[in-house]
Amino acid sequence: MLADALLRSAAGSTALLRVTGTNTDTGMSEVGLVATTFAEVPVSPVLMRKLRPTWQEGGESKWELLVSATGVAQQVDALDLESAQALFAMTLAVTVAGQDYLIESIASNEAFGQVYIYRLLLREARQQGV
Amino acid sequence: MQNAKDSFYMALRARLTAINPERTFLLRGAVRPGILVEEAEAPFNQLPNDVFVLRWTGLAADMDLASAMAAEQCEITYQTCGTQSFGGLDRGRALSAMDEELMAMLQPFYTPKLNYAATPAAAMLTQVFWDEPVFGPAAINRDRLGRSASVMVYSYQEQGE
Repeated sequence: MLADALLRSAAGSTALLRVTGTNTDTGMSEVGLVATTFAEVPVSPVLMRKLRPTWQEGGESKWELLVSATGVAQQVDALDLESAQALFAMTLAVTVAGQDYLIESIASNEAFGQVYIYRLLLREARQQGV
Repeated sequence: MQNAKDSFYMALRARLTAINPERTFLLRGAVRPGILVEEAEAPFNQLPNDVFVLRWTGLAADMDLASAMAAEQCEITYQTCGTQSFGGLDRGRALSAMDEELMAMLQPFYTPKLNYAATPAAAMLTQVFWDEPVFGPAAINRDRLGRSASVMVYSYQEQGE
């Protein structure tokens, strides 16, 4: 709760996790022929922060997304998933303020044995064809 | 060329299911045979363990034939950390098991060419065939042991492709 309050006070916003549907066990979806069904799962409050710029030619900027553990837990319950890791494993991309990002790695911070914040290392996704 | 790539993958997938039905993994919410096409999945920050990953790299074409022939290079990458019950000490054995599975999957060295854009998949007139695999050295990355094998996959371009 304190983490949520801190995130909100630091201009916390909402992120959309683009998760895949579960009906993908067909050969056609495995060779990229059928678009999988996607759902956008909102989590809030979240906070984006840009990491130290170590820019390389052709490289994308990296960001860290701080996500409230209570916001994640609500969606884990709503989707009837086993854990937050299961939710992140289903996530193809994260959308914040209309920009898509790919997840590079996931970490969490705990206090008294409970996760209070997830830290997602994100990379800007390149624009895809329509 | 895409039909040849799809047919090659689907042939290996079906053969893997017969050779080792236990080799499965969870991806996009579905349990699937332990093989995937990298370019047809979301980008990985780290390739999954105990799964065969197909990566299409090289391409060459022979146009001096009645039907143009395409040769596409497929790099099949796999890696393992062994099993938890052995504390990873069986990772060498696990890699050997994957080597053997890959060799078994690639035989016979041909498969019918199908068009998977149609439902159900439509058989085409020619076959997809490939060379023997060229195995690279084992790559050791701390607790992870991996290997990459390269296979040249040939197919004739049919009318309408």
